[in-house]
Amino acid sequence: MGPERGTSPRVGPRAEVDVAMERYAAGDEAAFAAVYDALAPRLYGYLLRQTRNRARAEDLVQQTMLNIHRARFQFIPGAEVIPWAFAISRRLLIDGHRHGKLEQFAEDGAVERVPSGGASADGLLQARELAARIEQVLATVSPSQRAAFELLKYEGLSLTDAAEVLGTTKAAVKLRAHRAYEALRGALGEAAGDFEAPER
Amino acid sequence: MTAPLLPPAALRERVLAAARRESEPDHQGGRNRVAVLLRGFVVAGAIAFAAGIHGTEAKTPRPLGCTLSLELLWLSLAVVATWAGVDRGRSMLGRPRVWRIIVAAVTPAALLAAWLPVAFAWPQTLADTSGLRAHLICIAMTMALAAGPLVAFARLRRRSDPVSPRLTGAALGAAAGAWGDAAHVMICGYTAPAHIVVGHILPVVLLTLVGLVIGDRVVALHGQESPRGVRARRS
Repeated sequence: MGPERGTSPRVGPRAEVDVAMERYAAGDEAAFAAVYDALAPRLYGYLLRQTRNRARAEDLVQQTMLNIHRARFQFIPGAEVIPWAFAISRRLLIDGHRHGKLEQFAEDGAVERVPSGGASADGLLQARELAARIEQVLATVSPSQRAAFELLKYEGLSLTDAAEVLGTTKAAVKLRAHRAYEALRGALGEAAGDFEAPER
Repeated sequence: MTAPLLPPAALRERVLAAARRESEPDHQGGRNRVAVLLRGFVVAGAIAFAAGIHGTEAKTPRPLGCTLSLELLWLSLAVVATWAGVDRGRSMLGRPRVWRIIVAAVTPAALLAAWLPVAFAWPQTLADTSGLRAHLICIAMTMALAAGPLVAFARLRRRSDPVSPRLTGAALGAAAGAWGDAAHVMICGYTAPAHIVVGHILPVVLLTLVGLVIGDRVVALHGQESPRGVRARRS
């Protein structure tokens, strides 16, 4: 799996997916499965949240992985795969929006942010209501603020990686995420207290 | 924190099978990247050589020190622009956006600024008279000399930028323009301020604009449909 949420692989040991990608770039065909196993769950979660459509999310994961496969010989040793993969996914997603391929809302009710762990029925219901409320608030903030917030909070990217994916600076990402957070805190009060922007 | 949303197992098989089915790309690794670059620069060199045989139109020859100084300065700028704007550094997404903005926006100004000390060191070169014809020839020559490097850079960065391809394209254009100027300075005999601005700096600006289009058309990583028969289906 990739690095822990909020950690920066630049200061720690290299992520497994980066090592696997280097092996793949060097000609180890079997390493692509390891790259897929490390990336696909994160990409799928991200794309499912964005598209709210399982088939479309699967299609986009497939396209992202094939783009990575096609670019394997251009892979730069020492480069990070996760921001690259997210940037490709995001580009494919935006292109999909532009070409009108994306359904606005799920016809299959695919996405719900379900809390991890063994939650009680009450807790589950509460969490679902909170998730729906968060979704409503995020729909009111600007797309750039929402994107920054989601990459940091939902996808667990570091500030550096999110900045790379969005093609901007760390300061800009932090500011955008903070504004989204302020909007959430204004609407949800204490319930939004869990969302803090990481420092890296 | 939310629970992970896992992709279906069938998707894994589809992706791995699709990757296996895809043919090998026609270019592999660093050796080919060098070959692409070499081809681009050989084309530029051939054009420069042909133009050099034809000779300069300038009536008063420049001092050798003036030519070599300008060559050295513009060559250095071309190398720096290529390093900062074309090379991706340690990231698959390229160097930071601000670097590419600087390369695209500052390269023409830096070329002009680099010419100033040379002009002050050899003030007699400011007095030559170049007309519109010389300006137009130099615009065409600079762009022709930059075409090889620009094509090479665009090939190197083809379908590689999912974030800001236009900006990358503009940086490629500016860097190629700097190479065009660096080659052209050996040929062109005019150094009057108006000629430098119109005949040598303006083409770099034009190439930066051309780069914007190339970025969108060539450098951008656009979505495409999955290969027939392997498109994801609703599970």
